[in-house]
Amino acid sequence: MRLIVSFLLFVLFIGSSFAQDKYVTGMQSTLAKMESCKTPNDYLKVANGFERIAAAEKDKWLPYYWGALNCVLACYSDSSNTTKDLYLDRADKYINKADSLKPDNSEIFTLKGMIAQARMQVDPMNRWQKYGAEANNCFTKAMQADTLNPRPEYLIGVGLYYTPAQFGGGPQAAKPVLEKSLAKFDLFVPKDELMPHWGKEQVEQYLKMISESK
Amino acid sequence: MKIFFTVLIFAIIVFSVGAQTKISGKITDENKNPLPGANIYIKDSYDGVSSEANGSFSFSTDVEGEAVLIASFVGYLTFTQKINLDGKDKQIDIVLKEDAAELGAVVISAGSFEASDEKKSVILRPLDVLTTGSDGDVYSALETLPGTQQVGETNGLFVRGGSASETKTIIDEMTVQNPFYSSVPDIPSRGRFSPMLFKGTVFSTGGYSAQYGQALSSVLVLKTQDLPEKTISAINIMPLGLGGAHTQRWENSSLSFEGGYYNLSPYFQIQKQRPDWDKAPESFEGSMNYRLKTSKTGILKAFSSYSTGSLSLFIPNLDNIPQKDFFYQKSNNFFANSNYRDILGDDWTLFAGYSIGIDNEDDKINSDVANKKDLFHTGKLTITKNIFSNTFLTFGGETQFLDHSSSYNNLKGSFKETYLAGYLETDVFFTNNLAGRIGVRAERSRLLDKTNIAPRLSFAYRLGKFDQLNFAYGKFYQTPDPDFLLYSRNFEFENAQHYILNYQYIGENRTFRVEFYYKKYDDLAKGTVFTYPYFNLPPVPFGSNGSGYAKGIDIFWRDQETFEHTDYWISYSYLDTKRDYKNYPTLAAPPFSTPHTFSIVAKRWVQSITTLFGATYTFATGRPYFNPNNPEFLGDRGKNYNNLSLNASHLLSIFGNFTVLFVSIDNVLGFSNIYGYNYSSDGKVKAPIFPTSLRSVFLGLFISIGETNPYN
Repeated sequence: MRLIVSFLLFVLFIGSSFAQDKYVTGMQSTLAKMESCKTPNDYLKVANGFERIAAAEKDKWLPYYWGALNCVLACYSDSSNTTKDLYLDRADKYINKADSLKPDNSEIFTLKGMIAQARMQVDPMNRWQKYGAEANNCFTKAMQADTLNPRPEYLIGVGLYYTPAQFGGGPQAAKPVLEKSLAKFDLFVPKDELMPHWGKEQVEQYLKMISESK
Repeated sequence: MKIFFTVLIFAIIVFSVGAQTKISGKITDENKNPLPGANIYIKDSYDGVSSEANGSFSFSTDVEGEAVLIASFVGYLTFTQKINLDGKDKQIDIVLKEDAAELGAVVISAGSFEASDEKKSVILRPLDVLTTGSDGDVYSALETLPGTQQVGETNGLFVRGGSASETKTIIDEMTVQNPFYSSVPDIPSRGRFSPMLFKGTVFSTGGYSAQYGQALSSVLVLKTQDLPEKTISAINIMPLGLGGAHTQRWENSSLSFEGGYYNLSPYFQIQKQRPDWDKAPESFEGSMNYRLKTSKTGILKAFSSYSTGSLSLFIPNLDNIPQKDFFYQKSNNFFANSNYRDILGDDWTLFAGYSIGIDNEDDKINSDVANKKDLFHTGKLTITKNIFSNTFLTFGGETQFLDHSSSYNNLKGSFKETYLAGYLETDVFFTNNLAGRIGVRAERSRLLDKTNIAPRLSFAYRLGKFDQLNFAYGKFYQTPDPDFLLYSRNFEFENAQHYILNYQYIGENRTFRVEFYYKKYDDLAKGTVFTYPYFNLPPVPFGSNGSGYAKGIDIFWRDQETFEHTDYWISYSYLDTKRDYKNYPTLAAPPFSTPHTFSIVAKRWVQSITTLFGATYTFATGRPYFNPNNPEFLGDRGKNYNNLSLNASHLLSIFGNFTVLFVSIDNVLGFSNIYGYNYSSDGKVKAPIFPTSLRSVFLGLFISIGETNPYN
């Protein structure tokens, strides 16, 4: 009997870890697909993949987070303004779900700020006032929620890099912020492989561009 | 051991890889167009796929038995279907229905121009209103749109043959009795409210909703900003005066103060003026704005503004040249509006508001003294309910109380009017391509002791992805102007019927709109009022036997694509109108109308010098003017009107603060425009009405403190 019980327990254990593994492997294989994305459609396919995981794992915020990020990346890889807004509408939908599952999270605030930045870039003349302020609000909240998160400063830096000097931007204004971000990247260790870990290479790239342009 | 085996078999079954089911098919919209990128999957599994460019999809799943197949795509209703996964290949073709609540649905838009940041298919953005026209005035920007007339000597918007009092300005759902600064004859003044206050503008040139009344021709619906994004201060420096503003933002509330002092005297020293000013216009103004977010959906807004100004000048007395009449004016205006908006439950929207306006104007003409006072209260309650999918019911009521008094030396007159209105309106999406708004408004005037019922209809039919046909009909009532009510109450409501047919195309960067309209006026107030200029016409008894019509075509074209970094729009209005009202002896085209009006606005952003350049050219054929020597009433036509104005906004940084340097020059080419003519009482002396100066220049430096990068 003891054998049976222990076997039963073993089966249950295997079963539960199997479910856990399914989530992790599902996420990992979808994350891996991001590497080869080039066109907006590639990113949207990945976003669809995350949406499928999110629909099955009702209490997990990360599938929504990654889904939203892929929509933003689709936006950055597209050229039509109408479709850009559509992708960002989708990103909003996902990130708001992530936010309701995991409130006051630094990474979610960061991504919300990134969405606002992308919205602004669709029509900077009309939108900079609203979305510029919104992005900054989000990044401030992100830094308050986790002072060690390197990504808010990365995005602030990129925003500054492309802002004309008249608005207080430009490469030289971006440089100290990007350096701060890089310092945080050097110390940053994601809790697990599914957590956000992107941005370091891009920061290094921007810093290189700034030092070369000098 | 038996049990052991049972468990083992059970475990094997649980973990065995069952037979896979392959699901494939094609996903399209209702018109059989493929939908690429849709997400098709088995509920609660990870198994699924995105559809290909031709809408086809194919995937395999390990799930067995009863399951649910889901297909989702932005802008469409999610598709679900039960499916039995038995290992046999499944061929399923999916048709997604459009979600009318999402982008692309048909929009009711006959008669109106909307400027908004929030909605996608609108003709203008709030920034367009701000950067069009020479002086940052909402009204002068709207005069570049079709349907409006160029009437340079008088305040107000003249829409489709309507007089200025037929257009009502509505701020946060509440009517503003006097939206302009007081003005002296033949010298117009600006709108009192800064365009910066508003996030959305709907300018309706006809056929508008049952929620608005007391306007025969047009409503300008302005929505104020919600919570400002952040704490910020501003300093405005102009040769005309100084202004400042501060906005403090807290988590869920904000408070803003704004104030300014304006004195045109230094400017008039430099810029030669045609009027003989004794004291150039001088004014103080202040406003306060409070916002409180009461819940996730609720917002309380309180706004108040006060301004006071004075001026004096000498006006030629045509009956006794070279004598001049001395004219002095002092005015105060106060306006406050508080309102609350919230969404209750899932499908109720509530709006409640109250506003008060106090306007006081003192005039002196030589030794004569005139005074005009208005006290105006408005209360409004509107409720919207989503009764079932795609059908909204709006109902509510409005009450207005006006206490008007005016005096001329010892002559005094006053009246009190209480006006009540109720409205019921339903917005229905019959299909995704056909929407209708059907409404009715009932109004009662206590002063006239009359009641009316005004039906309103508006339909929109979508032809394609970007274009639609619109139709509107409505009846609109208005109480006669206060000038009449001081003499008699024996009037009907003035009324107008609008018929509007419109085609519009709103593409990504190009907009085309053509609108045909017919407007029929009835029961217009008639009578001779001593303030009205046609003095030497035979007196007309008071009554409601006036009438008139207006018909025409409005065309609008906007293009942001053809020329890089350049945005331009062209408006053309054709208008044929005649009316018999006030003391008109016959049906005639009024002085505020002209058959042809054309304007073109162009803007170009030059990144290398961070400057936005703008140009506006306006042409209008001559307007009728009254010549006592011509037996045909209003039979004379003035000169054609031409104006080219240029402006530039240069963005710069002053001590790290975001700054805009704005310059505009009106009538750059120096066209000699004449708005009309004044005559002496005997008709022998004729004096042209000119703009106040040949050219005018506006210069301003607007500094935003706190509008910089806070991370340095």
